[in-house]
This record gives sequence, C-alpha cells and structure tokens, in this order.
Amino acid sequence: MTNTNNLNVSEKSKGFLLFAYNTAETDYVKIAEQCARLATYTTGLPVSLVTEEGTQTDYPWDNVITKENKLKNYKVGELGAWRNGGRYNAYELTPYDETIVIDADYFVIDKNLLKLLEQDFDYRIMQKNNLPGSHWNLSMGMVGLPYVWATVIIFRKTAKSEMLFDLVKRVQRNYDYYRRLYHMREGNFRNDYAFTIANVLLNGYDLNEDQGIPWNMLTFAGVISSIELHNNLLKIREDKKAYVIPKQDIHVMDKGFLLSKNCQQLVDQLCDA
Amino acid sequence: MSELNEIVEKINQATDYQTNKRILREKIQTDLHVPYNGGLFKVSPELIAFLTSWSSDELYLEDTYQNPIKIAREEFLTLCCEHYQQVMNAWHDQHEQLKRIRKV
Repeated sequence: MTNTNNLNVSEKSKGFLLFAYNTAETDYVKIAEQCARLATYTTGLPVSLVTEEGTQTDYPWDNVITKENKLKNYKVGELGAWRNGGRYNAYELTPYDETIVIDADYFVIDKNLLKLLEQDFDYRIMQKNNLPGSHWNLSMGMVGLPYVWATVIIFRKTAKSEMLFDLVKRVQRNYDYYRRLYHMREGNFRNDYAFTIANVLLNGYDLNEDQGIPWNMLTFAGVISSIELHNNLLKIREDKKAYVIPKQDIHVMDKGFLLSKNCQQLVDQLCDA
Repeated sequence: MSELNEIVEKINQATDYQTNKRILREKIQTDLHVPYNGGLFKVSPELIAFLTSWSSDELYLEDTYQNPIKIAREEFLTLCCEHYQQVMNAWHDQHEQLKRIRKV
C-alpha cells in the first residue's frame, strides 16, 4: 500500500491580525509594522493588517485589509486620540483559520502564545495582567466585574467565536446602554470592557477562566525612556524606575516610545537585523 | 549638578531586585507550560514525581483547562523532565544575572 496524502485535508492556516488606524498625533500603522516584524520573526507566522482605505505602508504584510472605522476616542493630555472600534470585525475579516489578534503595542518576543494553538478551543483571551509600577483598577465599573484584556485574543472560526464577536459588535453599537448597565465611569469605548461583557454573557454570567490565557501579560503603562537588550535581558527605563526582565512578550503603552528610534533599534536587535 | 540632583539621578537609574525577581518568576511560570496531546500542562516537581511513581503505561491527567488528557506515561515523563530542566536552568542563569544588577 502506498503512502499518499489526503489532498482534501489541508493544514489549518494560522496568523496574526493587527488593527491600526492612524490619528492626527500617532502613526499607529508604523507601530504595527514593528509589532509585525517581531511577531513574524519570533513565531514564523504571517501577519495581516486591518486599516482604512488610503493608508500608506511599505511593510510586506501577508494581507492588507481595509475597513472603515469611524469610532474615535479622546483622552486629553495623556494618550491623545485613538481609534479602537471595529475589533469585532476580526472574525469576518481574518484570512486565517486560527487567528491571534494582538494590539499593535504588544511585542511578541517569546513563543508561548504558540503553545495555545495546540489546544482545542473556540477562543482564548488574556485575563491576567501584571503592571509593574502602575496602579490600575482591574475590575470594571461599580459592579466590579474582573475584566479581560483584548490586547491578545486567539480564536478559531467556530460558532461560539462568531457569537463572541457578534456580541462585541452589539456592545460597541450600544455602548452607552452597557456602560450604564455595568456602572462604568469611563465614557470612552474600551475593547477590554466590550469583550468582558460579551464573554460573560456568552458563558452564562459565569466568571470561570475556561476562555482565559493561563498566564500573566506584562504591561508597561508609564512613559518609557528607553528599552535595551543586553545579555539576553531587557533593560527598561521609565521616568523614575527601571526594570531588568527576561526576553518575553511585553505590552508597551507609551506611543511616544513605540515611534522612537530606540524602539526601532530594539526591534532590529531582537530580530537579529 | 547639585548633590541632591545627583542622588535623584541615581535613584532613577536604580532597579529593584525584588520587582525584577518577581517578573522573572512569572515568566518562568509561563515557560513551564507544555502542550501535550491537545492539553496544556504546567510542569512541576509534583507532576514529575506522580508520573515517575505511576505504574501503568497509559493514564488520564487533568490539564490546566480542567480537561482529562490521555497520557503515554513514559513519553510525557521524558518531555516533562527535559522541559523542566531546560526552564529551571534558564531561571537560575537569569536569576544569577539579576542578583548582580542594581542599576541600569
């Protein structure tokens, strides 16, 4: 008997999907380009970009998908404007069977996310976050619902995943209602909250961690002066603090740093360029 | 630069060993996860001891997501031992480096 491959069964496609919509102050697509370089270098997976029509990018994306996004948030004096709407489109727009959606400011530096792709699941969301030096309220609104972090979402094309994204769409479109229902103080739309509400609804108001990624994300929420790679350790300088950490995935929220020459050099170093 | 400014500058460059140690430990806890047969396990001395002492070749073990996963004992034990040693060695090496760093 000859050993023949079944040509009707192909390997499932896997890849990252990034959303980046530029604002007057911030070139989010440029940030996404650095993020994509790292993600592909570290994992070997392709990266596709969702952005709006007319956006210029020289990066060799696997796909550039255009989708209008009218939602705009503002936070005067801190982050300026940002456009985080339309994340629910990930399910419809992804070109992959198994998709890892990450924020453009999440740097994939180790391969731990790949371990999750070997499991049987509909979707997984980052649930735990470690923010050294920052004091963030990790529960949502006055109801105190512990919220998930939409910074990392892994999903397969299943009915349950589709329902999750449909629910996020519903929450975004009726955000003012849900904001009042869950007694949230913040007026700006947050994907973290939208996915939290959708996840809780979808799981019968159960707070179990079945859909969670079982480890902590590491987030630097403050202003970053520099990040250097030295002896396989990352040296991170904030304004008044410094950290020395192993090479691992990091979520860096300081857009000024992400657009700096230092960030580009760091990515060059990490990618052995 | 005044003496006070110099002190402030030094403080700003200082890095806290305890915080770095905690971040490194969390990274190691992440790295200790190993996928096997559709499940995800966090390798621990208890898991290795259990697999070593179990008598039959096949068994079912509860994974991180509370699913029962079919295990080929010898194969999984070898995987766990190798993975554990590799991750713990990395932890030791990096911890030794951290102990020497007081400023960046």
